[in-house]
Amino acid sequence: MKELFVLAEHRQGELRDVTFEMLTKGREISQKINADLTAVLLGHDVKEFAKTLAEQAKKVLIIDDVRLENFNAETYQKVLSYLISERQPSLTLIGHTAFGVDLAPSLATELKMPLATDCIDLDFEGERLVVIRQVYGGKVNVKAMLRKSESYIVTLRPATFEAQEVKAAGGQMIEVASPLSEDITYKRFIEYVQPPAGEVDITAADVIVAIGRGIKDADNMPVIEKLAKALGGVLACSRPIVDKDWLPTDRQVGTSGKTVKPKLYIAVGISGAFQHISGMKNADLIIAVNKDGKAPIFRVADYGVVEDLFKVVPVLTERILEEKSS
Amino acid sequence: MEIIVCVKHVPETAEAEVTIDESGKRIKTEDLVYDINEWDDYALEEAVLLKEKHGGSITVITVGTEEADKTLRKCLARGADRAKRLADKAFEESDAFATAKILHKTIQNLPFDLILTGAQAGDDGFAQVGGILAELLGIPHATMIKKIDVTEGSVKVNRELEGGLEQVMEIKLPAVLAIQTGINEPRYVSIMGVRKARQKELKVLNLADIGLKEEEVGESGSWITVEKMFIPPVEKEAEILTGGLDNIATKIVETLRARGLI
Amino acid sequence: MNFELNEEQKDIKKAVREFCEKEFTPEIGLEFDKKEEHPTDLYRKAAELGFTSLRFPEEYGGQGYGMFEECLVTEEMCRADPGLGVAVMSGTFASDIIMEHGTEEQKKKYITPLCSGKFISAGAFTEPAHGSDIARMDTTGVKSSGGWVINGSKTFITNAPVADFFLVLCQTDPKAEPSYRGQSIIAVDKGTDGIDVTKLHDKMGIRPAITGEVGFSDVEAPEENLVGGLNRGFYQVMGFFDVSRVPIAAQAVGIAQGAFERAFNYAKEREQFGRPIIQFQGVSFKLAEMAMRIEAARGLTYKAAWLIDQGKTDAMMTSMAKAFASRMAVEVTDWAIQVHGGYGYMGDYHVERFHRCAKITEIYEGTSEIQKLTIMRYLMKRM
Repeated sequence: MKELFVLAEHRQGELRDVTFEMLTKGREISQKINADLTAVLLGHDVKEFAKTLAEQAKKVLIIDDVRLENFNAETYQKVLSYLISERQPSLTLIGHTAFGVDLAPSLATELKMPLATDCIDLDFEGERLVVIRQVYGGKVNVKAMLRKSESYIVTLRPATFEAQEVKAAGGQMIEVASPLSEDITYKRFIEYVQPPAGEVDITAADVIVAIGRGIKDADNMPVIEKLAKALGGVLACSRPIVDKDWLPTDRQVGTSGKTVKPKLYIAVGISGAFQHISGMKNADLIIAVNKDGKAPIFRVADYGVVEDLFKVVPVLTERILEEKSS
Repeated sequence: MEIIVCVKHVPETAEAEVTIDESGKRIKTEDLVYDINEWDDYALEEAVLLKEKHGGSITVITVGTEEADKTLRKCLARGADRAKRLADKAFEESDAFATAKILHKTIQNLPFDLILTGAQAGDDGFAQVGGILAELLGIPHATMIKKIDVTEGSVKVNRELEGGLEQVMEIKLPAVLAIQTGINEPRYVSIMGVRKARQKELKVLNLADIGLKEEEVGESGSWITVEKMFIPPVEKEAEILTGGLDNIATKIVETLRARGLI
Repeated sequence: MNFELNEEQKDIKKAVREFCEKEFTPEIGLEFDKKEEHPTDLYRKAAELGFTSLRFPEEYGGQGYGMFEECLVTEEMCRADPGLGVAVMSGTFASDIIMEHGTEEQKKKYITPLCSGKFISAGAFTEPAHGSDIARMDTTGVKSSGGWVINGSKTFITNAPVADFFLVLCQTDPKAEPSYRGQSIIAVDKGTDGIDVTKLHDKMGIRPAITGEVGFSDVEAPEENLVGGLNRGFYQVMGFFDVSRVPIAAQAVGIAQGAFERAFNYAKEREQFGRPIIQFQGVSFKLAEMAMRIEAARGLTYKAAWLIDQGKTDAMMTSMAKAFASRMAVEVTDWAIQVHGGYGYMGDYHVERFHRCAKITEIYEGTSEIQKLTIMRYLMKRM
């Protein structure tokens, strides 16, 4: 029986959402190619995870080793390349996450298997694997074909597939002995560090006005702050603003920052890379202001304004203040 | 400390309109401005900061056409010591895997303690080159790097994870580190830098120079080939407000009032 | 003949452009314009990157480039923001005179800190009673036992409120006939007793390039502060103007280019009567005309700069470049406002600021009328 691997991702005692998203997509494909859906669980003391995964997968391969407790691409690669070589799955799905990007390219190179990363869709056309990826910051999609192979590796973009609740699949739990013979000394996990909490918790705000690259200069922030203040909201931002140190990390919305769900989200000068969108797309009302009418942010916004933000924002702020005082 | 930085010359599309050309497999690039890939910009700066602190020299390498010399010259002006550009008709249509093979062949005989790449490229966004290159060289790697501390024979790095969390790892040198944006503040090109860059070596190498076969690079040496490009389908389309600033403001204020937001 | 920039010049241009894109944003330009404040931090930042010391030799911390490169940088900066561009590029104003005529000690004392951005210079030439006519100075420099004693007042002095030293043109021989043969330049350090600087307000344009009046009352300067030859001051200043007017032409070209680009982009976006206004000939012809004139002025400016770098400084070409480019800039920026219609008249659309700034290029470092006198003087000789 053919197999389709899904690498379970967990961190600090929790299975991460992307695992269930991959299981959902993996199930669909495994049915199509007539393969078993196999969850691969590497870790230490992960019985509970195994049970959860068994509800969703035909099989759960478990390798329990204290050296796998925290993610380390080098140890994961050793174990995974062993499993893949042994069982020859038709496809291995890994999350396109901070863990996945550290692991997949070197793993594929070692195994001499073609890899496609950051895919938002995939399908088999005959024996060939076809994927959909986004390029140029999400402005263009690509349909691409992988080189023909017996086994493929694909990383899937998180928050792209909706994880479906499935009835207990009664998956078989298979414990595999750890192939790790010695400690890996050239790459060691030391610790997790959490950036210090700031004075504002954007996840608790009802109204968020978020700024992006389009504001051009830190000196322009007061213009937007006024709008946020007029609405009684807080200022948040996309990644470039934090990269430039204009706002602290805890104001960042997106995959590497916070996920927010306010009543109102105004995105000002944010083009809308998927990393940002996945952190705010569930806001009740989204208004986007951007000069480029084709910016991806308009694909999640309810209302869009295609204009120079420096012209729009002051007028809007004034009108809101008038409205509030009347 | 000998540092190699792998960079890519890419079109800036964050604020530009992107359209697909007649082939349906590429975007139109005529009106786009090219520059160093944003992630690589941070990688270069990190290399220069490390050199300033620990001494040594920096070699920048790119795979690209003559146009990419602009990016190499920028790197030289910003503090790199020498540059190499890999150029060959056969390299066209190379994916991350083929590109990493080209880099590997170029790097394998060079002295180095550390190789830096950007965590991904702003054009194709594979986020693969660092990992593949490390595997081909048989050395460790880490991606999404937000901080580097050099210790005796190794580096302590912070990797950026989701949700603002970071993971601290210790890695033995030589190693490949793929740099995340925001790790530093890339400096401007100075006139002194431009002046000095003219004296620095910029070497162009081709397929034969690095000893790869034609089928190992380009489309035939790649894992993945583009079938077609298309503008992402619209799942939900924003209602674009028009009619002048006043009208737009009025519509927004009405919407907010209707929802009790003001 | 070669009309193309070399790779190095392209890189210089790109470097300035990237700097300006981040540092000279329109909003910052507008703010400094409103506040009439000198962008000292920006000046120092630009200096550290070598943008303000292009023509100074490397041994004093300069870049060893020529007038052509200085014009490229000036043009790019003024294209981004004329007020900030002029203010930053004027930080070393008049110090060419030290480089040209000064002693080794003076160069070490003044040029090196100017190159690093530590110092800002000022050329104190213009007097309330004498504008473009500097043939007679009311300011006097009298030899004393310890050096020089300076008395008099100067006006429209760029950088005066922030300058670290002044190059004062004064009458050291009041009896000389003609009077300009009795003038000398004396360097006076800031903080010297008897200097009184008053900031001038409400200039029409280039407001970040702050200007002041400077009074000298019994100001003492040591003997070694005489710059160049005794009673050679007038010639030194005129020689300086023969080159310094070229960057003014470059300012004009940059200002016009910046306003033109804004007008062009606005015309593409602005819709009236159901289509972008750029589709109307009334607008498009004007834009074509603007582009054409900018290019003509640029050609003249580059040629005048090139001649200087070839050691063939031609005062007539310099004057032609300055007079032509400055008039062009006033016209082009005026049209840029017109293309913008009512919005163009408003500060936050920026083109009105470009227009206000353009006007000065017809006035300072010799009005256009003075330039034409120079042009005619040479034509009479050469034709």
